[in-house]
Amino acid sequence: MEYILHLLILICFYTLLSQSLNLSAGYTGLISLAQAGFYGIGAYTTAILSTQFGFSFWLNLPFAMLISGAIAFVVSLIALRTVEDYFIICTLGIQVILFSLMNNLMDVTRGPLGIPGIPSISFFGMSLDSKISFLILSLFFVALVWFVLKNISKSGFGKTLTAISEDEIYTQSIGKSVYQSKIISFTTSAILAAIPGALYAHYISYIDPTSFTVAESIFILSIVIIGGLGNMTGSFLAAAFLVLLPEALRFVGMPDSIAANMRQIIYGLILVVVMMTGKNGVTELFKKQSTKRTA
Amino acid sequence: MPDAQIIFNILFSASVYSLIAVSYSLIYYPTKFFHIAHAAIITAGAYFVFFFVNKFSIPFPLSVALSIAAAVGIGLACEVLVYRQMRKRNVPALAYLIASIGLYVVLQNCISLYFGDDTKIINTAEVTVGNQIFGAYITTIQIITIVVSIALFIAVNLFLRFTSIGKSIRAVASNPELCNIYGISSNKVILIAFGIGSALAAIAGILSAMDTNMTPTFGFNLLLYGVVAMIIGGVGSTRGLVAGALLVATAQHLAAYYIDTKWMDAVTYIILILFLIWKPLGFSGKRLKKVEV
Repeated sequence: MEYILHLLILICFYTLLSQSLNLSAGYTGLISLAQAGFYGIGAYTTAILSTQFGFSFWLNLPFAMLISGAIAFVVSLIALRTVEDYFIICTLGIQVILFSLMNNLMDVTRGPLGIPGIPSISFFGMSLDSKISFLILSLFFVALVWFVLKNISKSGFGKTLTAISEDEIYTQSIGKSVYQSKIISFTTSAILAAIPGALYAHYISYIDPTSFTVAESIFILSIVIIGGLGNMTGSFLAAAFLVLLPEALRFVGMPDSIAANMRQIIYGLILVVVMMTGKNGVTELFKKQSTKRTA
Repeated sequence: MPDAQIIFNILFSASVYSLIAVSYSLIYYPTKFFHIAHAAIITAGAYFVFFFVNKFSIPFPLSVALSIAAAVGIGLACEVLVYRQMRKRNVPALAYLIASIGLYVVLQNCISLYFGDDTKIINTAEVTVGNQIFGAYITTIQIITIVVSIALFIAVNLFLRFTSIGKSIRAVASNPELCNIYGISSNKVILIAFGIGSALAAIAGILSAMDTNMTPTFGFNLLLYGVVAMIIGGVGSTRGLVAGALLVATAQHLAAYYIDTKWMDAVTYIILILFLIWKPLGFSGKRLKKVEV
């Protein structure tokens, strides 16, 4: 039961991460490979504030979001001068730089040793030690982020972002500032990524840089792509599928060592197939097939 | 005397990076997308040598030849089974890059699955003690790497300039549709580019693995250095590639010497990002990407 709760919490984290990336990648078309970096900034800010200064989660969270957003803002001023493929390569560079900061700034992050002893979250004096209470808290944040993104996507600004993802020059021609909107979208996306970061640090109570690698960024991007760009339900389903996949593989009798690689091979293959068909996510893949059958 | 040592190290790294940059740009010119799975081909080349030597005890030179052939096979399979199908369906430009990331994940994990994630060394018969030149120690394999990459660089340049296939690669690079009209099959040309590019990548992977060692992910970093060299050098200029590779290698080794080796990666990307701010067109001044209107 504890383990099932743990998996559900992981699904919440990856849903939050993929939803946050969905704002920039899905709505605005800014495919970023730096999301794990901002996730890491959220986690490290939380870890340092709570272990060094004894801050509580409720104080850490806004700080984590602020710092992640500030770094994303500065970075986006540079990265958003590039477009398409070069933007992705640029975000990959940012991811590598953020990772090497986490891994090498020994004085601040303790490098590969990681930061242990992050206290659990307390809520009005009530400690959220148990998995079930943590799950409820995570679900609250999933619902909150979902609600916020839904509203952004419906708002005028959201429509501008969608327009940018379809045609930047046209969007510019109707008087929308493309560069500015992209910066807001990228920064907001990083701010939201700090939420699962802060939750993760308090949940695991120990963080080290290996959780925030390029591979993790690729994984988060895969969730968004497999779920469909701009499709929030899709991201949630894809997160659940990819988190539960190794469990399913273990269930059919595959040893742990193989299951980890198999999961990556499977999501890599799904990524290739989805991209080859030019469809937006797995859900659309099935939708189009079914319409073809009826036709 | 550290000065000579640093210069040799820079020369060695630059020759590996420029070989990778050349192999990569051969594919990039005609296809115009970032083939990230190329990293897995670099890795695969080196692991195949390990596989043939240790599993079947095939003599080393033959193993190298077989490995290059196998790596070319993987490269061609990527093109024929995935990218060509995508071109037929006319998918958006970004889809290629994402699909290639997917391919990379698949290939890299297949290597991890079979060989394990631990560090592997390609054993060659001779145990090399550094040769001393100008007070710097340089191993035989490093000298071979420098010579091979210079030779291959010249060969690729001559090939692109004087052979008809080389010319058609450049033609497809500048306008694939017009090439099809003039009877140059862009599919065939891209396939050849993938073949040659993959062979060069495998050679770079093998040389680099023989110099130090290898893990299933070592190709990824090497590829990114090559890509950074290509972007800095300016896409479309083979001489620029060498300048880019030299700049990347110089920055890395100076960072390693004056700061710490652990900052080498960060320094590489900081250079890339600085370049993208101040010189978005690279050394050679050619356009990075035609903005579609």
